[in-house]
Amino acid sequence: MSTLLNISALSWRINQHTILHNINFTVNKGEVIGIIGPNGAGKTSLLRCLTNQGNILASANISGSVQLKNRPLKHYSAKEIAQHFALVMQKNDSIFALSVEDVMKMGLLPHKSLFSLDSDHDKAQIDLALNKVGLSHVLHNHFNQLSGGEQQRVLIARALVQASQILILDEPTNHLDVYYQHQVLQLVSKLNITVIMTVHDFNLASLYCQRLILLNKGELICDGSPKEVLAPEQLSNIFGLPCQQSIDAITGATKVSFYLPENNIQGNIQHNTQHNKISATSNE
Amino acid sequence: MNKVSVSLFSLAALVIVSALAAITFGPADINSTELLACLVSNCQSQVANIIIWQVRIPRVLVALVAGMGLAIAGAILQNTTRNPLADPYLFGIVSGAGLGATIASIVLVDNLTIALPLAAFLGALFSVIIVVFIAKVLQRMEQLLLAGVAVSFMLASITQFILYFGDPFATNRVIFWLMGSLARVEMANFYVIASVLLIAIITVLALHRQIDALLLGDESAASLGVDVDKLRLLMLGICAALTATIVAYCGGIGFVGLMIPHIVRQIIGVTTLKLIIGSALIGAIFLIWVDVIARSSLPHAEIPIGIITSALGSIFFLFIMYRSRATFL
Repeated sequence: MSTLLNISALSWRINQHTILHNINFTVNKGEVIGIIGPNGAGKTSLLRCLTNQGNILASANISGSVQLKNRPLKHYSAKEIAQHFALVMQKNDSIFALSVEDVMKMGLLPHKSLFSLDSDHDKAQIDLALNKVGLSHVLHNHFNQLSGGEQQRVLIARALVQASQILILDEPTNHLDVYYQHQVLQLVSKLNITVIMTVHDFNLASLYCQRLILLNKGELICDGSPKEVLAPEQLSNIFGLPCQQSIDAITGATKVSFYLPENNIQGNIQHNTQHNKISATSNE
Repeated sequence: MNKVSVSLFSLAALVIVSALAAITFGPADINSTELLACLVSNCQSQVANIIIWQVRIPRVLVALVAGMGLAIAGAILQNTTRNPLADPYLFGIVSGAGLGATIASIVLVDNLTIALPLAAFLGALFSVIIVVFIAKVLQRMEQLLLAGVAVSFMLASITQFILYFGDPFATNRVIFWLMGSLARVEMANFYVIASVLLIAIITVLALHRQIDALLLGDESAASLGVDVDKLRLLMLGICAALTATIVAYCGGIGFVGLMIPHIVRQIIGVTTLKLIIGSALIGAIFLIWVDVIARSSLPHAEIPIGIITSALGSIFFLFIMYRSRATFL
């Protein structure tokens, strides 16, 4: 497998506050990687560094390197980065009545010169991408009138039109119903491109990612298969809750459950205390 | 040919028809046969020749480019700031132009034909520089509009202070100029406005995909390789130059930049290419006909064009809002 991204000794400090500390990992072509960890662990910050958003890697607060195809990412122009990475954000809406077609055409931008118009080839690419996410029929609909799941799928289709090699998703399942959470992640995992996404729900991450990276307080705690990363002791230490790992009877995926012992309800645990059994899906 | 192309071609035809028809309106009685003769060959009457070539044609052409320019400036600002209320007037451009014109009228009494537009242009540019400077200091380009409103009020208060204590004759002249008029325009004005307009249109057509990318948020645009702040600043500069040039020659003509893009979104589309071309065409048709009303509705007098654009514009705007309550924007 060829290496696409190489992150070495990446640290980010603002004043005395550590955002990321000595992060090292590589991303190979075709991998589907989930970045997990508690809130404030540095997941979104790591994604920002991986795509050099706002030329962040040039900042004096950041040390270490991110290399894309053995060349420092900060040497790539914004357009070149857009040709390699496609981003799907948490929330996208427009105040104007954009059609799905208008949104899809945005994906053509990194490959277009000034003044260029849309060719028949571009239109075919758009149809193909929408077909892949099962939304051919919404081409002329208003983007804002689609459901959250459909909007995510359109943005994933836009990323396909963008023809980048790495798809980056920041919490793609936020605001989605369970059905759409599975639909979106299943779609992403079967696209046959390299995917790096932050996922809040450990069991969803385990089901759809080949590899997980666990962050806590800006440090990389574990990088490996879902079974390795979702080790109960490790998660218990981070979340302060007893944890149990099992194999899902239907999907065969590793899954974890957290328990809050009865006598601990009055304890000093800061997490949700509404239920004494808390699934790892709980989302603050 | 799709629906959008049909609409745009029909509008383009309507611009030409409107411009030709508008030449026939005016106090002097010139019928269409005479007009046609003057346009394609030689005029039989010397008076008609002068009226058509030195008064009416420059006036219609300036109305055409000024309408295009104001509508395009509004469209660009609305798309780049993702704010449907953005309008060149909200950036303090007219207040700045007003201050420039006031100072010129009070200080330089002679030679106002050149000094007034020049001072207005400098005043408009001055206000935009302050607005951009404030937004830069705040490091929030999203706050451009708010900074613009503040600067606009500040400059207007200085203008009013000067006018209040100034010479009544000069005050009158400035107030009438601020109401907008195409009565004194010349062919040279048309060439200047048309050149700035051409540069603006070419730049926007070159960058139309970048501007479109902004419509789904700055973060999304940045991920597609757009330098968001630089693009927004460039577009603001273009709108400022365009509006300042038009205001310098024609005075204050309100509501065109705000209203026309809204109409275009309803009938043509929201993306930049469609919006710019549609706004240019509808803006031109609108201002040509408003100027016809301005100069021919009252006998022996003209109504300032800014009054009509604001009156017609606001009524029409409310009507459109009412008709499309659900899908407005």
